[in-house]
Amino acid sequence: MSDSESTTQAGPPPADMDEIFVEHPFRQFVAMYFRNYAAVAGLLVFVTIVGAALFAPMILDLDPFEMVDEPLLRPGEGGHLLGTDNLGRDLFIAIVYGARVTMAVGGAAAGITLFIGLTIGAMAGFYRGWVDEVLMRVTEFFQVLPPLLLAMVLVALFSPTLETVAISIGVVSWTGVARLARAEFLRLREQEFVKAARSIGARDRRIIWLVIMPNALPPLIVNAALTVGIAILFEAALSFLGLSDPNVMSWGKLIGDNRDYLLDAPWTVTFPGVAIFLTVLAMSLIGDGLTDAFNPKLRER
Amino acid sequence: MQFLTVVIRRSLYAFLLLLAVIVFNYTLLFLVPGDIAETIAGESGGASAELMAEIRRSYGLDQPFYVQLFGYVGRVLQGDLGSSYYFNVPVLDLILGRLGPTLLLVVTSLLLAIFTGTLFGVIASQRPNGIFSHFITILALIGFSAPVFWTAFLLIILFVSMLQILPLSGLAEPLTESGTWQWYLDVAYHLILPVVSLSSIYLAQYSRLARASMMDILGSDYIRTARAKGLGQRVIIYKHALRNAVIPVITIAGLQFSHIFSGAVVIETVFSWPGLGTLAFESILRGDTPTIMGILFFSAFVVIIFNLLTDLAYRIVDPRIRLSNTA
Amino acid sequence: MNKYFKMAAGGAAMLAATALAVPTAQAEPKQGGTLTMIYRIIAGHFNPAIASGTPTGIPGTQLFAALIRYDDQWRPQPYLAESWKIADDGLSVQVNLRKNAVFHDGHPITSEDVAFSIETIKANHPFKTMYGPVTKVTTPDKHTAIIHLSAPHPAIELAMSSQLGVVIPKHIYGEGNIRKNPRNSQDIVGSGPFKLKEFKPGEYIIMERFDDFFLEGRPYLDQIVFKKMAESTSRIIALETGKADLTAFASDPQELTRLKKSKHLTLTPDGYSAIGPLNWLAFNTTRKPFDDKRVRQAIGYAMNKKLMIKILYSGFAKRATGPIHPGSVFYSGDVNDYAYDVAKAKALLDAAGLKPDADGIRLKTTLNFIPGGAVWKRWSEITKAQLKKIGIDVTLKASSDFRSWIKTVAGHDFDMTLDSVFNWGDPVIGVHRTYQSTNIRKGVPWHNTQQFRNADVDAVMMKAGLENDLAKRKALYAKMQKMVVEEAPIIYINASPYHTIYNHDRVGNPPVDSIWGTSSPMDNVYIKQ
Repeated sequence: MSDSESTTQAGPPPADMDEIFVEHPFRQFVAMYFRNYAAVAGLLVFVTIVGAALFAPMILDLDPFEMVDEPLLRPGEGGHLLGTDNLGRDLFIAIVYGARVTMAVGGAAAGITLFIGLTIGAMAGFYRGWVDEVLMRVTEFFQVLPPLLLAMVLVALFSPTLETVAISIGVVSWTGVARLARAEFLRLREQEFVKAARSIGARDRRIIWLVIMPNALPPLIVNAALTVGIAILFEAALSFLGLSDPNVMSWGKLIGDNRDYLLDAPWTVTFPGVAIFLTVLAMSLIGDGLTDAFNPKLRER
Repeated sequence: MQFLTVVIRRSLYAFLLLLAVIVFNYTLLFLVPGDIAETIAGESGGASAELMAEIRRSYGLDQPFYVQLFGYVGRVLQGDLGSSYYFNVPVLDLILGRLGPTLLLVVTSLLLAIFTGTLFGVIASQRPNGIFSHFITILALIGFSAPVFWTAFLLIILFVSMLQILPLSGLAEPLTESGTWQWYLDVAYHLILPVVSLSSIYLAQYSRLARASMMDILGSDYIRTARAKGLGQRVIIYKHALRNAVIPVITIAGLQFSHIFSGAVVIETVFSWPGLGTLAFESILRGDTPTIMGILFFSAFVVIIFNLLTDLAYRIVDPRIRLSNTA
Repeated sequence: MNKYFKMAAGGAAMLAATALAVPTAQAEPKQGGTLTMIYRIIAGHFNPAIASGTPTGIPGTQLFAALIRYDDQWRPQPYLAESWKIADDGLSVQVNLRKNAVFHDGHPITSEDVAFSIETIKANHPFKTMYGPVTKVTTPDKHTAIIHLSAPHPAIELAMSSQLGVVIPKHIYGEGNIRKNPRNSQDIVGSGPFKLKEFKPGEYIIMERFDDFFLEGRPYLDQIVFKKMAESTSRIIALETGKADLTAFASDPQELTRLKKSKHLTLTPDGYSAIGPLNWLAFNTTRKPFDDKRVRQAIGYAMNKKLMIKILYSGFAKRATGPIHPGSVFYSGDVNDYAYDVAKAKALLDAAGLKPDADGIRLKTTLNFIPGGAVWKRWSEITKAQLKKIGIDVTLKASSDFRSWIKTVAGHDFDMTLDSVFNWGDPVIGVHRTYQSTNIRKGVPWHNTQQFRNADVDAVMMKAGLENDLAKRKALYAKMQKMVVEEAPIIYINASPYHTIYNHDRVGNPPVDSIWGTSSPMDNVYIKQ
């Protein structure tokens, strides 16, 4: 609730402008992170999935859309580790390839979310006054529209492709980041080191990006980890509803494609769901780990 | 009196916000390829070119954009959301017809999440490092990480397919006469899985929140004073601390209302729940523009009202806010 | 047999004959009871005079009576018309109405209403060819209407039947723009065996027995509840548990496979020969390289239709070989069937000058498909996988809603698309529209969006459309099928595996005894217990 809890050490006022962003006790940070076993597990899962997304296609060189066997084989049957889906595609291969799309869309959407959110939040918090007023009204506007519904309309409007899905998710989910960034900026802009930077004649843009931003980053980085997770869930929901690019394999699409077979072939929806679940879980655990690492004090409680 | 000023100013903001929503919706959906002529042609299995032109004329779609926009804004402000392209009935009637099931689903889920969440949080706060506390942390992670439709599917596999004790979908059995007590019972029975699935996301989140704020409050001067006065632990928790622990939960719930409505879209689709969510989804697939605009407007309207109310509720529950925030 | 389309009106022709055609009908039909029918969608309105489509047609044919009806052997039977006669020159049809027929509001059904209905259908119904040759309808007396035609029109009897030729009251629908008439969906005044009791948009429609129906003793049922159930899993459970008695147009293989196991249910493909639903892949024949028929044929050979039918429909669907549904009297199997042959497909592509590049890709193209249905999505993915094998790289183009798909296809802005098109009984109504070069109309869906132009095909269809002799007409259509399949503007995959599923412990005289199936009046259906 109170400011001191939600954020990090304010950072000592630097003597030199260039020292502002090298002043990180990185080692302590890593040590703190690795003391949290759950966070380490999350990181492992994340690395595995990213690794699968990046390298598996190179090693396997398969087409996840290829119909390799009878439809709806049980896990293990016919040599298919996780069985086959309703079109006789290998579920394991589909999930491995799905990691690519899911991570790409999740990452891109999170990137867009952070970009919009940071820009708007930073401007509002830094300039205050009417800029803040206008930008906060815009934020409020996007908060009252149900995000999934709006994203569905946007995807419908621009026809479902990877890009439109990522952009739509970004457009509907930046408000939280903006509010967080604004709060941080409002707090930090009054700090001594910002005043110092201003007194030596630094331009607004430099102050925003090089002076305040690095100090505002810790809570935003934690938020970024969660944002990726939320974006992945979003993508899954859109794919599940059929609003996704049919040319690429994603986990949500696998669930959506096989939902009619839920009662007869539950594994076809269970496994892709496990993949989504683990990935988002990993992101949350990483987020928790980062929070601890940024705020060693909090952990004592 | 100051309270009244706040209410008036907030209402004015709300009105401007709604106006913006209307203009935004119309502009956005104006850009969608295809219009009612295609919709009607699609539904009726084809149409001649003359007929399609005639349809466009009769719906005023040959007018310039700004004329159409002003017309729409004017009508919405008079409470006329237009007519559904697909059902050919007023959109407002369609929405009101579907509102009940959605409110039932969303409000029940929210109440369940708030109530159980707070309860769990309070229990966990008693022993911050106890098993139950860890259990709640884990539950919160699971609730956050599992896609809501997947949770729903797992519940279906367990309770519908394997145990066969809960119904799969719908609001009630097809032939139950609505309004009878069997019907209400049936609805309650059908409500279980959708509500549990939907609240699963928020329940754990709220319990975490309640736990944190309980711990905050239990350490505060206010409670220390109460303790010093010799009040028992139970009284302190349930009478003094609890009230304050509920506040952040309600605040977050208010802010999240539009998200919960989003979750309802998915849950309604999974369970064929005849609410606004399924109507929205189907209208998007059918290209029923007036209905989509109507639902977007209406849900924004509900969220704005809900936010207004939680804001006021917040002021009532917490006297400190009433004093400080009226400026 | 060859008298189907020349059947002179026998005023005494009794309808009971159709009941006897059903082998299970040993028991005497009983009055009373409620039939619960479930369906995957519910229409926005139920006026078949201004829209085609089965969601409108199934309830629509209960609420509104047509002039004639058909048995399951393509034989027209009297219905609202007691008798009718096609003039020897084929240029007029005299219709004699039943004298006791009234609308649901008690107004007598007169020849005025018939004239009004035909004019309304002609002006508003999407099937322009249906009443296209009708010049005017005259009304010599209250119970006689004469339909005047500009040319012989063998499809006229089908156009007068089922959901195509319903009679609607002039005093209700005659005012204003009929499309915007609220009584298309609420307070409907119909002419059929059932009247509207309640319609809840998007959910259900309840119809109850119309006591003054013109056929004595009919209908047997007190009530029909027609309820939307979008999810196949819900339909499965509703039928299995006996909560629903009947569903139609069931084509989901999961649903069929599973319900087949239920002892109290009967699954039958009967009752769809008039609807004649075909699923196909259509080309934009004006776009390169699809203007080359060898490329189109190559794709025909590359598609493993047997496998598709097996995977998509668990083998429930019949193969479609050409533009006419296998259940039609005009069907001819004497066509090239494009048996799966990858080598031949590649050879044709080579001949057309599409050689593989370094990655083995010969052609990059796109495929559109109807949004919303799981089967279409699966279909598109299978097609993509199969065409990849002959070096065609297909990008699937999803339309997020139905109308943007329509806009794309009707706007001729596509390379290939999957589509489902119905024959609607007579080829003049549902087949010609897809191939006639005069019917290419940009912006209008299901009007030869392939932009297929072939003067010989045009000529054969023109002749067949005017031919009143069944045998000669059949021969003409056999020729037409062979020509169209050879030209391959469309690759035919299958007839939609539509099944009617009913609880045979409860439903007597199931609505499968007509070529129109459930899109015909269920006045004969009864509940057994």
